[in-house]
Amino acid sequence: MLKSDAVICLGNEILSDDAFGYHVAELLRSSGELPEAEIIFAPLAGFGLLELFNRRRRVLIVDTIVTGQDPPGTIHLSPLGQFTPSYNLTTSHQMNLPTTLEFGRQMGMAMPNRIDVLTVEAADIETLSESMTPAVKAALEPAAGRIREWASGK
Amino acid sequence: MKEITIDPITRLEGHGKIHLFVNDDGGLANAYFQVPELRGFERFCQGRPVEEMCRITTRICGVCPDAHHMAAAKAADAVYGATIPSAARKLRELVYNGFYAGDHTTHFFALGGPDFVCGPDAPPEERNILGVIKKVGLDAGKKVIAQRARGQRIIEIIGGKKVHPVTALPGGMSKRVTRQEHEEMIKIGQEMVEFGKFAIQVLNDVVLANKAYVDLILSDMYTHKTYNMGLVDSHNKVNFYDGRVRVTAPDGTEHAKYDPEDYLDYVAEHVEPYSYLKYPFLKKVGWKGFVDGMDSGVYKATPLARLNVSDGMATPLAQAEYERFYETLTGDRSGRIPVHSTLATHWARVVELMFACEAVALQSQDEEIISDHILDPPTSIVGEGIGIVEAPRGTLTHHYKTDKNGIITEANLIVGTTNNNAPITMSIKRAAEGLIKKGQEISQGALNKIEMAFRAYDPCFGCATHSLPGQMPMELVIRDAESREIIQIIRRNC
Repeated sequence: MLKSDAVICLGNEILSDDAFGYHVAELLRSSGELPEAEIIFAPLAGFGLLELFNRRRRVLIVDTIVTGQDPPGTIHLSPLGQFTPSYNLTTSHQMNLPTTLEFGRQMGMAMPNRIDVLTVEAADIETLSESMTPAVKAALEPAAGRIREWASGK
Repeated sequence: MKEITIDPITRLEGHGKIHLFVNDDGGLANAYFQVPELRGFERFCQGRPVEEMCRITTRICGVCPDAHHMAAAKAADAVYGATIPSAARKLRELVYNGFYAGDHTTHFFALGGPDFVCGPDAPPEERNILGVIKKVGLDAGKKVIAQRARGQRIIEIIGGKKVHPVTALPGGMSKRVTRQEHEEMIKIGQEMVEFGKFAIQVLNDVVLANKAYVDLILSDMYTHKTYNMGLVDSHNKVNFYDGRVRVTAPDGTEHAKYDPEDYLDYVAEHVEPYSYLKYPFLKKVGWKGFVDGMDSGVYKATPLARLNVSDGMATPLAQAEYERFYETLTGDRSGRIPVHSTLATHWARVVELMFACEAVALQSQDEEIISDHILDPPTSIVGEGIGIVEAPRGTLTHHYKTDKNGIITEANLIVGTTNNNAPITMSIKRAAEGLIKKGQEISQGALNKIEMAFRAYDPCFGCATHSLPGQMPMELVIRDAESREIIQIIRRNC
């Protein structure tokens, strides 16, 4: 049996702009749970995400990203594939997202039919701090709005 | 001279770079391993209650939060001069062994294993767990998932959460274990032991049965005769949670055995201008540069190092594998002759995996773990504390100083991988020397064999919570040493 759609917010609440996922999850919760989707803050990667994906029809991943191509606070929402053209592993101790999804499928798990990604361009994800930079903090409300639209299927 | 940069390294946490400096004639002149580090940790800690550190430090690293949780708890115990109840200590050890059983499984099957299962010359896009299950079957993948779930369940029962435990605190533990949970953990322990046997079988079938792989493990290209470091119990057996730090010399003799609070008498840190990461070394031997041998204070703190400093394992199946390990690689099953082959670290990790599984099976049967007496709240303060555990990737030290109210004034951490910074650099250089030859084009297989030199250490250099962009192609950049202009770029997996 399929579970509800999920908004999986990644990040680290004490790593400057990397706390974006934590704060946007808190913002969405404080304004009332989205009836259409489960909101999850997950300081996880790779294998740790498998269970969260299992038996979901749609998943939205929220994460910070550093491309250097956009000003900090810039929001993009797009299908997963645009960000993950490679199966190459990227960390010393985890699998990357596409490898995780393919592994789940091969293991007979029900991986989502659709995964979208909402990214926020970060200015600093290396300094241990509970404060986000102003531009990224200002992106919280607009991002929450995009997430609500996604959850309602718009 | 030309500079070759491998950036970033696949399967490496953070954004490490390898710089290879190549002479005009194509030979290797030098190699450097450069990593960034999270900034401002000491400042971040200052002004916070020391009891917060058990939860905060789990966010330092998404790879080994349990290790930081335990080291922080032990350091906070020491800050308050607290002796924790026996049941609390048993719960901490049990949950820590459960963590190890999952963590070592991930590395062997998903990260280090692909180099051997798929082969060092396989295309990088195939050297992952998908390549592993293609070779050894879907059933192996399902067993890996089940084993990781067992480890997480142990952490959830005792630690309160599946991944980032929250229950250790100064003076003991904050969550009791029910009778039902106790019985569940006994069953999990038994299943873990069966998985440990399976892991040994895979190691036998895939790695040890292939003479070429054994020759590769034992080759000079992957050998450094350094000092070794690790925690041991009162019988000099490997212990992940507690004990004294034992250091042995390259010839296997004991160099030092000390209590955690004395670590600064034995360990100092060297700094290089090109890296934020420091290079710990043995103070009484001294820093002699990136060289091995009896006169160099460089040491390893890895699964292999832990086996080398110990007199064996405390459980029977792990002890049997320990003896087979040393008999195969040194001809002496006692372990008195150390193994210095970096790639043997993978096998040592499997020995430890077997031990962790057996330890969970054994410790989960202890009736005392369901005791109500799991916390003795501190009533006084010392103001300084040091906690040491063995993280899967090396000896982890937390050192806090506080004011009389337990507010942190100073913090110092030596994390597992940091211990191995110098050996990793040396291993990369040695492997590159063996693979980069005058007049020969550098192949993908050669690059992977250079990567294998540090992958055996299971290094981790930052926070592991990011999943995007999910693409970090390796780049090998060759620059002219004089003009610094790029002569050639080789991209992998784009």
